[in-house]
Amino acid sequence: MVKALRARPALLRVVLALLAFALAAAVFVFATPSAHAAPNSGGVPTVDTTPAPADSPQSIGIWVRVAADKSNVPNISVKVTGKGVTQTVVTGADGKISVPLAKPGTFTIELDTASLPEGLKVLGDNPREVTVSTGNQGVPGYFLLGTGDSSVVPSATASPGAGGSSDSGSKSSESLADRVLPRIATGLIFGLLIALASIGVSLIYGTTGLNNFAHGELVTFGALTGYVVSGVLDMPGWLGIASALVLGGVFGYVQDLGLWQPLRKKGIGLIPLMIVSIGLSLALRYIFQFIFGPDLLITPNNQTAVLNIGPIHLRGTDISSPIICIVVLLLVAFALLRTRIGKATRAVADNRSLAAATGINVERVIRIVWVAGGALAGLSGALIGYYQPVSWQTGASILLLIFASVTLGGLGTAFGALVGSLVIGLIVDLSQAFGVPSNMKFVAALLVMIIILIFRPQGILGRKDRIG
Amino acid sequence: MDWNFIPLAFGQIVSPLTIGYALAALGLAVHFGFTGLLNFGQAGFMAVGGYFFAITTVKFDWPLWSSLIACVVGAVLFALLLGIPTLRLRADYLSIVTIAAAEIVRYTVKTPAISKFTGGSDGINGAGRDFYAMNPIPEGQYGFGVLTYNNNQLWSIIVGWAVVLIAALLVWQLMRSPWGRVIKGIREDEDAVRSLGKNVTWYKMQSLILGGVLAALGTVLIIIPTSLQPDNYGTQTTFFLYTIVLLGGATTVFGPILGSIIFWIVLNLADGVLSILVLNHLVPITSIQQGPIRFIIVGIALMILVIFRPQGILGKKREAQFSE
Repeated sequence: MVKALRARPALLRVVLALLAFALAAAVFVFATPSAHAAPNSGGVPTVDTTPAPADSPQSIGIWVRVAADKSNVPNISVKVTGKGVTQTVVTGADGKISVPLAKPGTFTIELDTASLPEGLKVLGDNPREVTVSTGNQGVPGYFLLGTGDSSVVPSATASPGAGGSSDSGSKSSESLADRVLPRIATGLIFGLLIALASIGVSLIYGTTGLNNFAHGELVTFGALTGYVVSGVLDMPGWLGIASALVLGGVFGYVQDLGLWQPLRKKGIGLIPLMIVSIGLSLALRYIFQFIFGPDLLITPNNQTAVLNIGPIHLRGTDISSPIICIVVLLLVAFALLRTRIGKATRAVADNRSLAAATGINVERVIRIVWVAGGALAGLSGALIGYYQPVSWQTGASILLLIFASVTLGGLGTAFGALVGSLVIGLIVDLSQAFGVPSNMKFVAALLVMIIILIFRPQGILGRKDRIG
Repeated sequence: MDWNFIPLAFGQIVSPLTIGYALAALGLAVHFGFTGLLNFGQAGFMAVGGYFFAITTVKFDWPLWSSLIACVVGAVLFALLLGIPTLRLRADYLSIVTIAAAEIVRYTVKTPAISKFTGGSDGINGAGRDFYAMNPIPEGQYGFGVLTYNNNQLWSIIVGWAVVLIAALLVWQLMRSPWGRVIKGIREDEDAVRSLGKNVTWYKMQSLILGGVLAALGTVLIIIPTSLQPDNYGTQTTFFLYTIVLLGGATTVFGPILGSIIFWIVLNLADGVLSILVLNHLVPITSIQQGPIRFIIVGIALMILVIFRPQGILGKKREAQFSE
């Protein structure tokens, strides 16, 4: 323990320097005129509901459903116009149709009201416009049908892909910097979002040895909390984020109190515990689906840009989210390095028996770690809700990226998780700038993780004696 | 009310899913139950085997025997690819790498760029061509009531269960052999086995290959009578297999097979009962909400099994400690 504490000041400097770099880079990229894509034009994983056609660089995914029971509506003819395209398509049996587009731009989607089932009309705008940026696949053009008036439905095109991005013309006119810089921005922001969740995974692993496969569900919990508070109850957005943070902590507390602590007391081994976390993950994930349904949920967000520099249109949340992340991460770093409980946490992570022998209440430390891990994951989920529509599997879909970050940085090291997250976030987004197809971006990140494991299994900041 | 779901649920004993999952679960038992390898990517082995078989059969027109060889070779290569970097490391590294590799396989086969071979998100149909051509059973309908099968279905049921039983006998004999004792020794105490001069990493690799090949052949049994869909081989498939293995008994040979039968019968009975309750408005849920319930049941069952009966139905408690 003493050795661990002595070794840390150097680490502290590394981490602070890294955070400062992230902040500086974020500010720099935002301020660069060429960074014209919103932080989500492909940066954050989108739920794979609208498969893109094989051969076109862009596409719009149209999906028509009945608002009341969310049933899909087939055989609706939909007209897509804009950028020299005039195309009429018909929705398939699942209510969906993907429209391939050769060029990015703004397109008008119009549902043919004559083809609607009797008694139903389109809720929300019809026709409506969607903006498709270079490389965006499956930009949502979702329509809900209903009998009521149209004021209750938020604009279904309020999607991240279309949100603050401007189209950039054809690919050939882009320079390398034009392609890479926005990706660096989105990658860093995505990395910061993953980092919030990864630190929890890493701390829980460090203090208990448990590889928590149910951590993705803590993220989903936060995302859904944010959606319920600001989307369903119509409360302000900051309240949604704050309640995700608080309720996430409560969820972590309840999990440890009701499940993990009794199992530790029962003396169940780590591998069975890991399988318990898988069962928990499966059960929670589908309980979320049971309650919220299988659809994408959109947290209301002010789509108007607050910052316009040249072609950049940044929404308020595009600026505030990374700042919140960095502030919270700095607080966590401060707590770990400077407070009694933080030092105790690192001591437990380093050597549990030795920590207990020096009078540290190990169970109390683990409880606090669970609360903090849950709160950070909840915050991460709520912020993700401002970048992409959330669903019952939001957390599950990024769980492997969280694991990749944690493994990359070094299992059980909190700061390694941060470094790993930023690297993973950058890989996921930069891979697309260098021609990796968008559905393969996770593969790039996972492959890098496996390659790192071959050459440096302890991760970037891990120590060799822990992996044997 | 329609009570047909009861015989249909018990008809799961001969369904392709039960047969294929029994074989894949047997493979997982070799990994997890006998060797103590934490393989969370069994779905990846299944997908690799399935795609090697289906692509060579449907796209390259290879005969059945060479497609089967391709399927086995695919699983062996996948095992080597996963095993070489991770088997020396601690158990959790293998778990993370295998689950990641399984997802890599699933994402990759769905890539539009190679959909000429893999069929993209739609998968591949018609892998049973040569298999059905060999069918000696005369055409017609066999069985009774709702459980009636045509000659091709009957052929795949007979061959499927025969393959499962042969594989079970093989694993059973292997685990009684000196090789099996080394494997079980690795599960109990890796260092002790190493101190006896055994090459632990190489034994683990052999176990990974054996279990992976069984999973790959299991997929072949599934896709011959049905079709190959990439999303059927996501992480939840691996978790289903863990539930099956732990239900029957991870450290036994016949446990995974029994587990697969019970798993699919119970799941289908639960679905049937729920459908009746929902259709008659006896429970306040919609038919859309009915879908997730089977997964909630599996998740909770998995937790309860691990906590209260880690040895499963057939296993011995002494063998089911799974300490690191």
